[in-house]
Amino acid sequence: MTFYQQEINRIKELCYSNERHLDAVIKTRNYINSNIDKEVNLVLLSNIGFASKFHLLRLFKRYYGQTPQKYLTERRIEKSKEHLKNGMSVTETCFSVGFESPESFSTLFRSRVGQSPLQFQKEQFSQGELKRVC
Amino acid sequence: MKAKIISIPVQDQEKALRFYTEVLGFLKKVDIPLGEGNRWLTVVSKEDQDGAELLLEPSPLHFEPAKVYQNALFDAGIPYTQFNVDNVQQEYDRLTAKGVEFSVQPTAMGTVKVAVFNDTCGNNIQIVEML
Repeated sequence: MTFYQQEINRIKELCYSNERHLDAVIKTRNYINSNIDKEVNLVLLSNIGFASKFHLLRLFKRYYGQTPQKYLTERRIEKSKEHLKNGMSVTETCFSVGFESPESFSTLFRSRVGQSPLQFQKEQFSQGELKRVC
Repeated sequence: MKAKIISIPVQDQEKALRFYTEVLGFLKKVDIPLGEGNRWLTVVSKEDQDGAELLLEPSPLHFEPAKVYQNALFDAGIPYTQFNVDNVQQEYDRLTAKGVEFSVQPTAMGTVKVAVFNDTCGNNIQIVEML
């Protein structure tokens, strides 16, 4: 057994031995992944994860290193980039990933990606055109 | 400031290019000759061609400490870096069918599943699936 295999076993034992906790956070994450277009809040997640709101919040952060809200936002931005690349309009993209208004979507998108959704989409298309020409 | 390059030391750039493209499925992005057979050689993920580039750099050939470090990691089974995949078991099946050797079989570890393979260029590489 290599040093790394021993480390995997040690960390598993040390950090991941509570099956109940793992089950709760994995279920919660799966729920978020399947429902990024819907309203997802901590009360709903605590029912999915069978844990109190604050306990679940702590557990999620402990096992995934970020809050469920932050994780959800990242997934939404990631998904919106895919939609924009595939040619979906900014407004349609906004609602399909669960944002309530194009303004809030554009503001958040710009803060995370460094450009507006429209600029991002235009850049994708112009890069695609360039690749075809070259 | 943006992180765009992930450097991977390789003992043979041409062999590495073949492994990373033909076996793993990356695409060659940049290939610039740097003299004496060395190249600035990068590959990108097919699904994320504007994402981070893997720089296959021949540092173990030219800088002894890089070689020592690479060998030490390899001998301890420690991955040099890791790639995210949707399904570790499927990737494991796909790569073993192509003859890739794994030192760690698909293993669940809390909120991730991991496996580690030999990239044939001096490195262990981990694939990881978030659970």
